[in-house]
Formats: sequence, structure tokens, C-alpha cells
Amino acid sequence: MPVIVLASPKGGVGKSTCAVLLATQFARMGAEVTVLDCDPNKSITRWSKHTMPDGITVHSDVGRSEIVTLIKASDGDGKIVIVDLEGIASQLVSRAISQADLVIVPMQATALDAEIGSEALALVREEEEALNRTIRHVVVLTKTSAAIRSRVQRELEEQLQESGIDVIQPSLVSRAAFSEIFAYGRDLTDMLNDSTMKTGGNVAAALANAQAFTEAVYERLK
Amino acid sequence: MSGSNRLSGLKASTKPTAPEDIRKVDMVGESRGFVDRTPRKKPGRKPSPRTMQLHPKVLPDIGDRIVEEAERLGMTQGQFIEHLWRQYENQARTE
Repeated sequence: MPVIVLASPKGGVGKSTCAVLLATQFARMGAEVTVLDCDPNKSITRWSKHTMPDGITVHSDVGRSEIVTLIKASDGDGKIVIVDLEGIASQLVSRAISQADLVIVPMQATALDAEIGSEALALVREEEEALNRTIRHVVVLTKTSAAIRSRVQRELEEQLQESGIDVIQPSLVSRAAFSEIFAYGRDLTDMLNDSTMKTGGNVAAALANAQAFTEAVYERLK
Repeated sequence: MSGSNRLSGLKASTKPTAPEDIRKVDMVGESRGFVDRTPRKKPGRKPSPRTMQLHPKVLPDIGDRIVEEAERLGMTQGQFIEHLWRQYENQARTE
């Protein structure tokens, strides 16, 4: 099954949030999910210290020297591998991209995120050439407004599409539940059904957003 | 969006894992600034664990007082004993 790599040399764009949402939603679909936490901030590892949903295994502190072998060992039919990378330009990032079936580049709708995120997109294209292998890559806009599609977001989406870059719809909306999942562990469905997990946000809307996002990712893996 | 049967169609694919493939990937990455950023380990021999031992012939009560005084002065026992030795030499010269 596929190897999904979350890559952007910029930190704070939502790579770990995307990783957790995809891992939990694919696990809900019945997949055996392995998450490789390569981020020195260890967001995924912190999340995994709470009660973990069934079907998810997390490997922490994955470095440059073991990334390729660990992806190879975790990959297989019936399994999904999700790689959460560090927010810097490193050899670890380029190696992980080489093993990907799908590279997701999360970015906020800002010029800075777009500029730095485009470095990852350019790297994917160069690796495709060097390895003579197609590596599917997409952009997902993160932390967007639930109420309106801003002018900046609209323009950025248009620019990306004009450049031939696949932009996942829906974007990931800025939701309290997406942040709170790191404090509580488990997943959004548990959060919706468990009254002790208080987020103050619209969990149902967050869950619907995560499901639609995962569905869009799934469509690109087929 | 539920049911594992939907996911059964997704199969693992072969990835480029040969050393020459990884070398190519590293070269492509380095040309774009994606370099090795693995934190370097501190070079050299690791410090030996402190045993707090003095010469075996030093009597324990004197040894303890040397340890306490060295700690109070913020120096190692070795530095403190060197300091004492210099004082002893100076004293011997004046006599």
C-alpha cells in the first residue's frame, strides 16, 4: 500500500496535523497504518503517548540513515505508511520523498508558505527526473477560514493550478479540534462521542473536513 | 468512508532503495540545499565517570575534607591538590 510523505521545508504549516488526520481516518477505514515521526518537535510521538487508536503504529526519532529501510520494512499490502517530516531542507526530506507514492505539501495561504513550499515541489520534480519515476505530489492549503475563501487563498489556488500543481479540495480549515487532538490523543470520532474531550470548537465540522480530505487523498492513491 | 475492502485495491509498489539510487537522490537534494543536517556527536573521548576517589593512601577523613574544600572552591580535587603542592613548594623554598 502507499507511502504518503508530508513535506515542506517550512515549519508550522500543518504537516503533523495532516499526518494525524490521515493516519486516524485511514485506520478507521480498516488500514494498518505506520507513522514515521521524523520531526524533532515529535508532535506525532506526543500524540501517541495518549491512548492510541487501533491500527496505528508510530516510530519516533527516525533519522536520515534509517528512513529508507524503515519505510521499506513498513510498506506492504494492507498497510499505509505516513511520514511526517521535519520543517527544514535536509537530506532526510529528500530521501523520504524518493520513497513516496504521494507527497503532500501543506501550506497556508500566504506568499511565504507558497514560496518555501515550492522548494519541496521542485525537489520532487527533480527526483522524478533523476530516478526516472513518477512521484505524485499535491498541495493542500491549511488553516483556511471556515467562513470565507479569502482573496489570497483564491489567487494562490489559481496560481498553483495554472502551474499544473494538483491542489487538494477541500482545504484543511482552521479548527480547534485539529489542535486539541494532540492534547487528548485518539481521533476526531472519539472526540465527537466523548464528552470529557472538550475542545470548544465544532468537532462534527472538523471530522467532516478530515474525512473529505482523506477521501481526496485516497482518490489520488488509487 | 468505511470498509477495508476499499483499501484492498491499494498495493505496495517497488521503490528505489539501491545505494546508487540513494546517492542520486542525495545529490539532487544537495543541489537544492537539502543537505545532511543530522546533529553531529561531540568529538573526542567521552569523559570518564567521576569516582570521587583519592589516592588510596589518603586517610578517609582527610580525603573527605579535601573533597569538601575542592567543591567549596569550585575546582576538581586534582586542581586543589596542585594548588596545595605549589604552596608546599613555595614554603619549602623559603625554609
